[in-house]
Amino acid sequence: MAEILAPLAGKVWEVLVEVGAKIEEDDEVLIIEALKMENTVYASSGGTVKEIKVKKGDSVEDGAVLMIVE
Amino acid sequence: MRPYFERMPGFGKPLKENRIARSKDSRASLEAVEAEIAAARKAKEEVGIPAAKINERGSMTVWQRLEYLVDPGTWQPLHSLYNPAENKDGTTNVVDGLGKISGRWAVIIGFDNKLLAGAWIPGQAENILRVTNLARRLHIPLVWLVNCSGVSLAEQEKFYAGRRSSGTPFFRHAELQQAGVPVLAGIYGTNPAGGGYQGITPTILIAHKDANIAVGGAGIVSGMSPKGGFDTEGLEQLIAVTRDFKERPPGRAEIHYNDTGFFTRVCDEEKGVLDGIKEYMRMIPAYDPAFFRVAEPAAPKLAADELYHLLPFNQKETYSFEELLARLVDGSEHMEFRPEYGPEIYAGLVKIDGMAIGVIGNRQGLLPKGYPEYADYPGIGGKLYRQGLTKMSEFVTHCGRDRIPVIWFQDTSGIDVGDTAERAELLGLGSTLIYSIQQVDLPMMLVVLRKGSAAAHYIMGGPNANRQNAFTLGTAATEIYVMHGETAAVATYARRAVKEKDSGKPLEPIAQKMNEIAQKYYDTSRPAYCARHGFVDEIVDLKALRGYLQAFAGAAYQNPTSTCPRHLLLLPRLIRG
Repeated sequence: MAEILAPLAGKVWEVLVEVGAKIEEDDEVLIIEALKMENTVYASSGGTVKEIKVKKGDSVEDGAVLMIVE
Repeated sequence: MRPYFERMPGFGKPLKENRIARSKDSRASLEAVEAEIAAARKAKEEVGIPAAKINERGSMTVWQRLEYLVDPGTWQPLHSLYNPAENKDGTTNVVDGLGKISGRWAVIIGFDNKLLAGAWIPGQAENILRVTNLARRLHIPLVWLVNCSGVSLAEQEKFYAGRRSSGTPFFRHAELQQAGVPVLAGIYGTNPAGGGYQGITPTILIAHKDANIAVGGAGIVSGMSPKGGFDTEGLEQLIAVTRDFKERPPGRAEIHYNDTGFFTRVCDEEKGVLDGIKEYMRMIPAYDPAFFRVAEPAAPKLAADELYHLLPFNQKETYSFEELLARLVDGSEHMEFRPEYGPEIYAGLVKIDGMAIGVIGNRQGLLPKGYPEYADYPGIGGKLYRQGLTKMSEFVTHCGRDRIPVIWFQDTSGIDVGDTAERAELLGLGSTLIYSIQQVDLPMMLVVLRKGSAAAHYIMGGPNANRQNAFTLGTAATEIYVMHGETAAVATYARRAVKEKDSGKPLEPIAQKMNEIAQKYYDTSRPAYCARHGFVDEIVDLKALRGYLQAFAGAAYQNPTSTCPRHLLLLPRLIRG
């Protein structure tokens, strides 16, 4: 079980995966808009997306859990 | 230094399926812009009299001459869309680029004999000055295909006079020769006055049998000594003299071969002139590339086509600069300089066709927490901070010491601003980088991958470094402006908006004006605009970028004015530690 964390505070611009999706390490999983840029969040490990804790438009804090992969 | 360069650390990862899927639209947008540029380039090639008609007259077009002259597969066009004076035909009436002739790199330029018989027109002198600067910077021959009818008389006031006018290139020819850069000229057609000096100022003159070069052409000679008006008697005389000069224009090949000896040779066939240039190119000093190679040439391990999925067309989307670079350099290998320091900047050594090249580029996206170290706000790629500025100066200085040419890649929104940034000396460090670039006196080239903005566009090896920047390329995603259009609109109208609000006036007119400014910035920063106005020297397809990198590396190492023995290089040792 691994958590994918927000690397910075910002707004969720786009969620690129769905629950149940199989992902590999370094896959693009989410975009956070911050500092006028769309910053890609990459999977820190591979597995299956078990839970997505945010949705498009949500504001997230630095370090917030974005999704859980197992 | 073989152990340093033969097998450098690999970088770049295979492209992921989800990236390919997600970037389909971006790829389509990039390719649409590339198609638009290609169409504009094609339109320029077809300007003027149709090629078939020129051929019927027994002449080749400048394009056909280039095709015969340049080694197959080596032509890298420059200034294809350059048209700073906005001439209606969309051209400066010269065609130029880098190419190999007889296996040696040269800067090659020719007058387009399909339009106004290759006349001088507005904007052309600036085009030629870029070309002479390029030959000087790369220290490689300048090859001219002269076929120039002289001044387009209807517009002479736009380019005849002034410091950077159509006469300036003649002095540049002298400057090149004094710097040990030969200028070879193949001469065709009628070249009076300005055309005559285009013909006479190079080093070696090879003429076609029907070519002429003269102080003044038939038109001038027959019309000299104005009497203060025209009458029929005067016109009868003029017609008689003009007929004679049309038959026997001044400065014919026989005069400048037999009498003056200016022409090195005269050829019966058009192709003979080009064969002559090829022959002279074989006499030009040029190191065999093997002399400077630090390793065997190798193609990148990762495909150039993948660049279309890695460089987002959307200016706000971040990406990995290293993933792009890995698809452009030999073996997808590099040696990174100070990776832990100045994380917004990539600096490192790569190989292009086996030759060592320094690379500097903007990283995009998030920077490590706590960076920039002098501020309490987060840093973001594309911007420049204290360490990145320092690292660039350091790297450039080491490249200068090791005589390693530098390729810059820009995608920058500017330098950090505000009192905190001022206290961190960013103004001084930007200026230090300018000083370092000027001090090292190295061949450099620049690729503006996406954004070239604010002073960062200047200091990161921008075209403003006239003596160092050999040429600048753009891509389909390039946009160049002092700041984003919306930022400019705010800077222009923010105070006025406050005043209007306080005086109870409607705000819609201000909003409209702000939108107009933003739109104008957008329109005047597109790739085609950048190319037309010379912000870049060419917009290049992503898949064609490596060809220009190879031309730059090959030309820069062909006959350098100074060298560093490879076993005395310092930079690789500093990197390895």
